[in-house]
Amino acid sequence: MKILLVFSLALVGLSSVAIVASKRQVTPCWCWPGSLNILENHKPHGEGKEYASFGSYGAETDWSNPQITIPLDYKQAQGKRMFYQQCVWCHADATPAGPSNRSNVSPDPPLMNDGAILNGKSDASLHRVIALGGAAVGKSAMMPPYGMVLSDDEIDELIAYVRVIAVPEYRKSPASQKK
Amino acid sequence: MLKDQIRKAVSWLPHLMVICGAMAFAFVLWPQKRNWPEWRPSMRIPADFVESRPGILAWKEPILPAQFAQGTCGACHQEDLPQTPQLNHGRQLIVRYNCIACHRLQGIDRPEMLAPDLTNIGVKVSREWIYKWLKDPRSISDAEGNQVVDGVYLEPRMPKFQLTDVELRAISAYLITQRRKPITRSGSYRTAAGHVNEKDAEDGKTRFNQMFCVTCHALAVTRGGETKLIGGDIGPELTKVGSKVNPDWLSAWLSNPGGYLRHTGMPQYDWSQKDLHVVTQFILGQLTDPDLLKDVPKLAPPTPAEVQAGERVFREKGCAQCHVIEGVEPSNKFGPDLSALAMAGGPFVVDVKYKEGASASLHFVKSDTKELEVGVSQIPHSMITYIQRKINDPASLASEPHMPRFHMSQSDLDDVTTALLSMSGPPIKNAGNRSMVIERTHAEFHPGGRAGELFHRYKCYQCHRFDGFGGTLAPDLSYEGSRSQRDWIVDFLQNPQTLRPTLTVRMPNFNMSKEEASVLADGLIGPLRNTRVKEGIEATEFSAEMAERGKKLYEQKYACQSCHTIGSTGGYVGPSLTNVGNWLRPEWMDAWLENPQSLVPGVIEPRHSFSTDEKKDVTAYLLTLKQNPSGDFPSPLSAREGQR
Repeated sequence: MKILLVFSLALVGLSSVAIVASKRQVTPCWCWPGSLNILENHKPHGEGKEYASFGSYGAETDWSNPQITIPLDYKQAQGKRMFYQQCVWCHADATPAGPSNRSNVSPDPPLMNDGAILNGKSDASLHRVIALGGAAVGKSAMMPPYGMVLSDDEIDELIAYVRVIAVPEYRKSPASQKK
Repeated sequence: MLKDQIRKAVSWLPHLMVICGAMAFAFVLWPQKRNWPEWRPSMRIPADFVESRPGILAWKEPILPAQFAQGTCGACHQEDLPQTPQLNHGRQLIVRYNCIACHRLQGIDRPEMLAPDLTNIGVKVSREWIYKWLKDPRSISDAEGNQVVDGVYLEPRMPKFQLTDVELRAISAYLITQRRKPITRSGSYRTAAGHVNEKDAEDGKTRFNQMFCVTCHALAVTRGGETKLIGGDIGPELTKVGSKVNPDWLSAWLSNPGGYLRHTGMPQYDWSQKDLHVVTQFILGQLTDPDLLKDVPKLAPPTPAEVQAGERVFREKGCAQCHVIEGVEPSNKFGPDLSALAMAGGPFVVDVKYKEGASASLHFVKSDTKELEVGVSQIPHSMITYIQRKINDPASLASEPHMPRFHMSQSDLDDVTTALLSMSGPPIKNAGNRSMVIERTHAEFHPGGRAGELFHRYKCYQCHRFDGFGGTLAPDLSYEGSRSQRDWIVDFLQNPQTLRPTLTVRMPNFNMSKEEASVLADGLIGPLRNTRVKEGIEATEFSAEMAERGKKLYEQKYACQSCHTIGSTGGYVGPSLTNVGNWLRPEWMDAWLENPQSLVPGVIEPRHSFSTDEKKDVTAYLLTLKQNPSGDFPSPLSAREGQR
């Protein structure tokens, strides 16, 4: 009985120390596991300035102005890859394989960087038209559905890419979220 | 009373401490410790691999700078991933540049042939040409005299070695004496050097173009003051080949390439004597450059001393690492082992041990030096800058480097760096025992009998892929037997066409007879099957009504014409369906409409959700699309012009 009492007292003591330590973000001794809060604020010591130019996952040339290069983050870079695989054939004026198919399709598919059209659409509505195709959202059946070819994540990455290349620039505002 | 109890408790104290310690470990520390990446920083283990962020899960944040982050993926993923184009391209470049000849690399095997066999080089070229080539392998320059850099794939693969005049003389003397086998002359036409008939050369040019030589070989073309290499990257660039080769060698080579070079990728064409003559005339008369050898000093016939010195230099400079000469074996420890290069970027020295017990030396960059001082240059202490400098200009890091100088664009250099940074240990063999990088184009698919002979004679695998092996220029034919109708294949082999409205034909016409084409078609159809395609759907199952419904589905509900052409109208994305009724087998159409990606992974055809009836209807309609033999449908080219 007494053993149990002492034991539970010791346990309570230890756990209270643990709670205090984790709240104050201190490390009582070397064997104490650091909490993640500390670690996220931790400055990496190996960070060198020489990598300043190595900082992006990819880049895309601005379609309307070849002088400008747009750095892409991870999602956008994946979106770029998907774009050049699936969409470039009809949604750009030049393709890696030669002439664009855009003129063969009517009504004209919007250029992927056409902010005047695409900035007004919400991410959700773009996602819907890519996944389900034009016919399902009351547009031309010429736009096929990609929901069974691309995963939801891939479609989101594609939208991230469309947003970053948009001219005029895409701004996420409450107004643009309306369908 | 209380004192007694305290005294008793004190006597338990050691036990208590042990128990509490165990419980603390069990409840608090152990769960944390199992999550190693979170635990490690608290132990203050240094982990400053370039830009790594200690304490954050490695896979949430890349350990490498973003631009090279794909290298991290490659540490585990041995097969190409669609998400890592940079890494995949870097791996291809590593194979293309023959890095494996000198360095040990993770997951790359040494192919049978890395560079041309030089056993018989003396009969092919002159000593002066060898001298020039060794001095600088790149000879295409634009109007201003700058060497044309037109994409790595069209440039010679041979890197530039830093050789002195004495070494150049010695190697050229050694190589020119390599004449093991005389040329076997064939045919009645004979072309002597410098005797070219202009008219024959013009005919040869036409023939050269008709045979689609440029599908594999590039030529430099100057348009509007800009020089560009145009053509394929499978064979060597040929702009100045007429100034390189011996006329007798050329005609013997064209009639039977395998007779000179056993591993060649060049098909053996069925030339007529006349064609062989005119094409030879064209190459010797028009693909030349009188100034090519103007900087080469006069070279007297080689002396025995020169030849002996040449053999020594040939070994010392590592020529034997890529080129085969009978009796000269490559060394397997010529360059440093790079198979764990990425591991060497941290503070640890990695000593790679192999089964044979040999330890390998490694390039590594110590993280406690701020700058790596080698030779005269100072580069920042980072693995990445070191690798890039070493490839681009090895002389800046060591005074007399063994390593030749490679010319590549910055983006190619970044890709190669990414691939090198993925090398994290001794070669990994994956389940199928296949290399991470598929090396030189070769076939694993060998049809038997006569079809097999034709398959190897025409080198189908140079451009087409079969079961994961072969070239990537032309369509993958792994399932050709399930896909195409036999008669169509026979016709196609005799008269290749393009099915893509925007592509020009690239398949050469091999002048196959109908009999040869049938044998080859049968040999391919038999084994090249896909089990996902249900066999036994007959064309007779489909009625005219179904075809009519299918036409409506094709044109309205699914709007297939946005990508496919029938006759003169439609899109350019997919293949033309003008003759699809003669081309595709109905069971393939059915399986394809169901799920195209399951048949050809990564194909861009969108997957629709067709009902079973709809699939049948569309198939029925497609089967009615036949081009009659007289070719009544206008060609896609004139169709395009008609639309404008």
